[in-house]
This record gives sequence, C-alpha cells and structure tokens, in this order.
Amino acid sequence: MSPLTPKVRAIVRREYLQRVRSKWFLLSTLGIPVLFIGIGVLAGILAVESNTDFETHSLGVVDRTGRLGALVVEELLRDSILTSETRGLENASNEAVRDSLLESPFDLFLVLPSGILGSASDPDSGSDPPEVGLLSRNNVGSAVQRTIRQGVNRALVRSRLLDAGVEGIDPAILLQSARLDVVNVTQEGGARSQEVFEVISMLLALVFYAALIVYGQMMIRSIVEEKTSDVVEVMVSSVRPWELMLGKIVGVGAVGITQMLIWSVVIGTAIAFGLTAGASALAEAGIDLSAAQVPWGIVALVVTFFILGYLLYAGMFAGGGATMGVWAVAMSLVPFFSPILMPSRLLVSPVPALQVTAAVVLLIGCILGVAWVAGRIYRVGILMKGQRANLPEIIRWVRHG
Amino acid sequence: MSSHSLIASREQRRSALKDVAIHLRGMTKRFGQNTAVRDLDLEVPRGCIYGLLGPNGAGKTTTIRIILDIIGPDSGEVMVLGSSDVESVRSRIGYLPEERGLYPKMSVIEQLVFFGELKGLERPKARRSAELGLERLGLEDRASDKIEALSKGMQQKVQFLCTILHAPDLLILDEPFSGLDPMNVDLLKQFVLERQRDGATVLFSTHLIEDAERLCERVCMIAGATKVLDGRVSDVKAATGRLEVAIGFEGDAGFLDSPDLVDRVSDQGRYVEVRLADGADPQEMLRRAVAAGARVSRFELVEPSLREIFIEKATEAGLSARDQDAGQARQEPVPA
Repeated sequence: MSPLTPKVRAIVRREYLQRVRSKWFLLSTLGIPVLFIGIGVLAGILAVESNTDFETHSLGVVDRTGRLGALVVEELLRDSILTSETRGLENASNEAVRDSLLESPFDLFLVLPSGILGSASDPDSGSDPPEVGLLSRNNVGSAVQRTIRQGVNRALVRSRLLDAGVEGIDPAILLQSARLDVVNVTQEGGARSQEVFEVISMLLALVFYAALIVYGQMMIRSIVEEKTSDVVEVMVSSVRPWELMLGKIVGVGAVGITQMLIWSVVIGTAIAFGLTAGASALAEAGIDLSAAQVPWGIVALVVTFFILGYLLYAGMFAGGGATMGVWAVAMSLVPFFSPILMPSRLLVSPVPALQVTAAVVLLIGCILGVAWVAGRIYRVGILMKGQRANLPEIIRWVRHG
Repeated sequence: MSSHSLIASREQRRSALKDVAIHLRGMTKRFGQNTAVRDLDLEVPRGCIYGLLGPNGAGKTTTIRIILDIIGPDSGEVMVLGSSDVESVRSRIGYLPEERGLYPKMSVIEQLVFFGELKGLERPKARRSAELGLERLGLEDRASDKIEALSKGMQQKVQFLCTILHAPDLLILDEPFSGLDPMNVDLLKQFVLERQRDGATVLFSTHLIEDAERLCERVCMIAGATKVLDGRVSDVKAATGRLEVAIGFEGDAGFLDSPDLVDRVSDQGRYVEVRLADGADPQEMLRRAVAAGARVSRFELVEPSLREIFIEKATEAGLSARDQDAGQARQEPVPA
C-alpha cells in the first residue's frame, strides 16, 4: 500500500496550499531573487566604476633597485595608469615614505624593494623575493590592483631579460601561462571536466543546508500549529500520527521545493538573458562552462537526492562529513549522509546503479521511519501541558505511544 | 444532516450494528503517580444517548481519549463499535473535544472538506455534505470566509458540522455544552437527537448533571477516577427508594415542621421541595397541609435528581469533599 493514503494526501494538500497562498510565500519568492539580482547589479556597478577610474589614480614609483623603476613606469603608462618616478625617497624608511605620501600630489606609492630583482646567479635560492609595496590614500579597486601587478611583473621580466642580454621580446608573451583542464574519461565515452562539478557540488551542499535551515523553521511552525489552534485532538482522533507527520513533511517540503524551483527558473532565465558575470568569472578562473557537457541523467539524480534528502531532514526537524575510499562508499548509502555524499560521488566519478538504487530505497525507508517516530512522540507530547519531557520519557513514548 | 443520501437506510444501518457501541473492561490509566482512571467497566449499548458524569478531574476526558485511542490504557480491554482496533472504525466516529479549535486561516468550506476527507469521505462527497450543512445552518454565504473572520457562535456551528459531516455511527462529545451560547446549545441538542434517531450512539461527558438528566437514557458517574454508579437513569432513580414532594401553597407553612414526616425542606420560591422521612406516606403529608389551612396549588411526587444521588453515592464511596466538587457544578449557569 502506498504510504500516501487519501488522508495523507488531504494533509499534504492543506499544508501546501495554506503556505503557498500566504503573503509570506509571495514576498519571499519574489523578494529573494530581487535581493540577489540587486546585489549582483550593485556589485557590477561598483566593479565597472572602479575599472573606469584608472585615470583618477596618480602613482608615484619609489625605486630602491635603481633600475626597475623606469621599466615599471613605462609598462604602467601603457595601461593608462598615470605613473611617474619620485625622487629622494629611495633611501627613506618605510615610515617616512608613508608620511610623505600624504603630503605628495600622488594617490598611490609603489615601493620597489632593492632585493626584488634577486641574484641572477642564484634564481632558485628558495626564499621568496621581498614584496612590492602599494601604499594608497583611498581604496584601490581590484581591477587597478591587477593591472599594477601585471605591469610590475612585465617590468621584472624585461629587467631580467636585459640582465641576460636579451632584447626585443614582448614580456607579455613570456608571461602567458598554461591552463590545466582535468577531464574524467568514462566507459560511456563521455568526458567531463571535473572542476566545474566540484564547484557545483559544493554549491549544492551550500544550498542544501540553507534550505534545511529556512524550511526547517517552517516545519517547526507547522508542527506546533495544531497545538496553538487547539485542532490537535480532532486530528489525532482522525488520523494515525505518522500520517499527520508524513503529510506535514511532504506538504511543507513541497512548499520549499516549489520555491526553489521558481528561484531556479528565475535565476536560469536571468543568466540566459545576459547576466553572464558568473560565467565569465568562472572562465577567468580557468573553468569553461560552455565546454562542459550537461549530463542530464546525473542532473536528474542529483535533484532526486536533493529532494529526498531535504525531505528526510525536514522529517528530522519535525521530531527534534566523511573521507574517501570504502568509507565514503559506505557512508554514501547511509540515509543520514547519502543526501550529501551520493551527489558528490555522482558528480566526481561513475557510481554503480545498484548503489544508487540502494541509497534511494534506504532514504525513502528512513523518511517513513522518521515520520513514524516523530508521530509517536508528537501524539503524546502534543497532549502534555507545562512539564518538559526528558529523554527516557520520550523513548518510552516512542515504544508505547 | 438528518437523512440525506450520505446515510444508508435506517434498516440497513441497524442490522449492521451489533449491540454494544463501547465496551471497557477493567480499564486503568496512570499518569506518573496519579491514577486518572481506575479499573473502569463501561458498557454503552448501541443507539442510546449515554452520559459520562463526574466533577472536573474525575477522569472523563482520559476515558474518552482512551476510547478514541488517542492514548493507550495501562491495562484493560477496549472495544469500540465491535472492534478492538479503534483504527479500523475511526472514520465512523465523530469527536467534539473539550478544547475546540479550527484552523484560523482556512476558509469555512475548505476546513469542512478537509475534516470530511480525514474521516474517509471523498472530496466531492465531503464538499456536497459541507454545503448542505452550511445551508442548513444559514452559513452558506460565509463558506469562503476565513474561520478567524467568523463570530465565536458561528465558529461553534462550523465545529459541530465538522464533527457530524461524515454521519458517524458513534458521536463522542467532551463537555459539549460548556462555553456555548444558548442558541448553539439548542442546535447541538438537535444534532444529537437527530444522530440518535438515525441509529447512532452518542456518548457525552459533562460535569453539569442537569444536562445529562435531560438528555440521557443511561449514565455512568465517576468521581476520583472510580465509577460510582451506572445504568438507566430511571433504574438509578428507582433504586434510591426515596420520595420527594414538590408542594405549592399559600398560607401558614407550619405544617412542614413535622419531623415524623419531613426529613428536609428546600424552598424553591414558588414551591418547596420536601424530602420525606423514611417510611412516610405522601398522602399523610397532603392531609396535614390541608388540615393546617394551606391553599395547595400543586402537590407532586418528584424523583430525586441525579445530582443528589451522585453526591450521596460519592459520599458513601468515601470520596473527599474536593473530589465531589458538586458545589462548583451547582454555581455554573445551566443552559436552557
């Protein structure tokens, strides 16, 4: 017999419709994407602003090497940062340099320490070269910081090339680095880039926990609803406690899933319509989304696990990490851990169908079990007034109802 | 809700019913150190209106909760509608708990349909039944209002409807009249009598013994977790073997002052209630009144009230004054 009896379905329908029709649902469903898009747009505006105010920064180079300064000025001017060398601060202390920035017409000081070029005879000395100091009156945008760092690097390369007697080579070409794309090759012939999925599975885990916290609260409110409105006795005289619990878990769970689906659609649409900031950031970090094939089967499994796991935890709210190898395989089957571990395994490497099935079946069984236990506790606890129950007492309830 | 299509014909129903609606044998329930109900035997025949009487805290609600399998007994036998598995007959029971409540944010019709479904009605059937009921109560144009928007009296009506929507064979009402306005007291009595005419059994608990006296064929009285007496109301009264006389008269009341005939007198304003002494003849009483020159407008033999029997029995059983609690019951307004 299906656990979703007509009574359970009636409870699910009530819990779901009551919440989906509420003002809270409307506000939070619309509000959260608006908030996120707002933050995104704001961050975008700020980034654009800081990228366009290159000309407003005037940079003075304090050159303690005696020869790198000129090259740095040349490179930074090429990137339209207003740069010139300062005189007379080369041998001043760091404190003196700091103080003189405030009196100078410059916004920024770039301090090139004397050891920066290193010893040509000992390039692998092991110790890191001293850091280049960037002193600033105001905040420096990340784009400006990056431009300056790249300019200094090019100047360093040119300087070292000059030392070695090489001229006429574009340092930008020398500095170009390789990118590593890690690909899993599977029996089915599909190849997928691992990094993307590691990022996604981490994001999923984050979303999972956020959902648990938010909708767990909703679950708790739902559980006490009968008690606060005195409906409880009619309910417990009409349905089995586990039916009430299961109805609530599925009903409230479905509210969360509905909301997350709406958000996914909104965010998906937003991304499709040109909010590509996220994708380009990934691309910059060496991750190319367009190169990755979308494994729809796995996506479906991931969503399934998300929903089942979410329902299980919702059930646990109603009542009241692992390593690699064999241990991880075992734990990814255990209901309390599988919602998090199995999706990670699925994303990283192929998982035998038997294990996936076993994990799903165990999860469903556990959801029913948790609902049953919560129901036993609920049915006694809901009639208690005043006194708090201790653990032995609760265990007695579960055993005797 | 009397006899529309929801309910099978009365004959069918009667033949399906066996003799006993509720059967408790040696039922005991303890909460920690307290014994809520001790070794209770209870037999409610089908088709009757049965009163479970007793002061507050006597164990009435606990008994009802055990009958409904909301809590389990520590020991004893429970059978409801011929089954020891209450789960299997749950949809044939209608229950109005003492603490009444509805989902405040739900509309009236949704609420009714929801409870109908929980009692095993299919959705369309529940809806039809709810609409009929609302129409009868004159609430049809409030169907889509939220419960919290209704007056207290209307909420009470909706609550009754929730209880009887599925035409239950057994109606269990815990202190049904407390907190009701007078209009709704009458309405509820009407519902109760209708259900009984359709062959249903009604069990209700009350600490207001007068309510039970008016409605019930049979009663069970409990005090301090123990049964004091039970049986047909008429048998219970006959068993006391005591006589009371109500006398209305004008003139000198001196004839009442005769200890050989009169045990106790209580003045009711327009008449006096006289409890006769053991073995006294009521005819002698009437003769003396006339001889004393009183103009007698009323002379009536009355049965002792259940309240008096209850107090007497409870005292016999050696229960403390607090357990009897009858003084409190007397002060509460008695619904019309």
